[in-house]
Amino acid sequence: MTTEQAKPEETPNLTPGVFGQFLAEHDISSTRLPDSTGVETIEVTTANLEMALKRLRNSAETRLDFLVTVSGVDAGDNIESVYHLWSYEHTKELVIKVRVPKSQLGADGLALVPTTSTYWSAANWHERETFDLVGIRYVGHPYMRRILNPWDWEGYPLRHDYKQPVDALNDKNPFSFR
Amino acid sequence: MSVQVPDELKETITVTNLDFVVEKLSEMLSPVVSPLVSPVANWARSNSVWPLTFGTSCCAIEMMSVGMSAFDISRFGSEVFRATPRQADLIITAGTITRKMAPALITLYEQLPEPKYVIAMGACTVTGGMFNDSYSVVQGVDRIIPVDVYLPGCPPRPEGILDALLKLQQKIRTQSLEDRRKKGNSEMRPVRYVDYDTGRPMEDLIEEAKALTAQDIKDIAG
Repeated sequence: MTTEQAKPEETPNLTPGVFGQFLAEHDISSTRLPDSTGVETIEVTTANLEMALKRLRNSAETRLDFLVTVSGVDAGDNIESVYHLWSYEHTKELVIKVRVPKSQLGADGLALVPTTSTYWSAANWHERETFDLVGIRYVGHPYMRRILNPWDWEGYPLRHDYKQPVDALNDKNPFSFR
Repeated sequence: MSVQVPDELKETITVTNLDFVVEKLSEMLSPVVSPLVSPVANWARSNSVWPLTFGTSCCAIEMMSVGMSAFDISRFGSEVFRATPRQADLIITAGTITRKMAPALITLYEQLPEPKYVIAMGACTVTGGMFNDSYSVVQGVDRIIPVDVYLPGCPPRPEGILDALLKLQQKIRTQSLEDRRKKGNSEMRPVRYVDYDTGRPMEDLIEEAKALTAQDIKDIAG
């Protein structure tokens, strides 16, 4: 690896792809991010998220009617909420990310993102899972409660700074070779 | 009398003199009768071990396949898998036990009537398996319930389950019921209780509650 290669973080401005241009026509600004394994990835602000998803779902040119998953990432400085969309009609994929910088976290360490479960019910359990594991609070969700971990679990396990509690149920067996 | 009726049930349950006499009689006769009866009784018990349908994860597929006609488990006596723990006498813990599932498994185990047996099936229930360093998987089901036979494998083949069942039958045949009863059921009690809401062992929560000072209680109560 030579030192002449540019660091991949400082991406030059990527040209907007098909969906980015479509959103720009509808007055929604979006930034193009590097492709996720060949799929166009765009970033949208939290304020524009609902409008963007509704436009992408309802308009005939980009009928992205299948919300594949809503997940969350702890990416260094930001916490991201990731939406994967798929269109049955045009067989095209899109990845939308919403970034919340860690400096802007809410009172209890949760990132605040508007919910999609009110107009896209597939997102209901996915958002609960993301809340449980990454700690993104979806504002407006009807039942924001932990879904995989026990109800009163403390901490968000998929964050990088998570320390797992060691008690009698998961401490190291004294005869273990590890 | 060995079993005292608790106070709240004294109105509905009466232990008559006849029960007392029968109990004393069986105690007196047992040195004579049990060497004759108990091998037969144990053989009968071992050849009709009915498991509970308990499959949480991938090992359940292998348990299903051992219940089907190719690797038939009913030829070894497990004719039916009972859906209710009250009618079963064996739990084959087939699958990963997480902290969220642990209280449910303890409840099921306590609902099994004695004598009850546990086969820990698969690596996850033996010592945590592939989830070795996990925050939410109980590292081996013997941290919450007492286990009779450990069956490693990921998943063990159906023939492996049959082998574990045969070992369990051997254990049942050689262990007398009198000894089990005399130990005061210490072998058939959950090792540790797990809280339902937080997923942590009850002892930790009790310690925390004991360590609360009066000021903490005022703070919590508001």
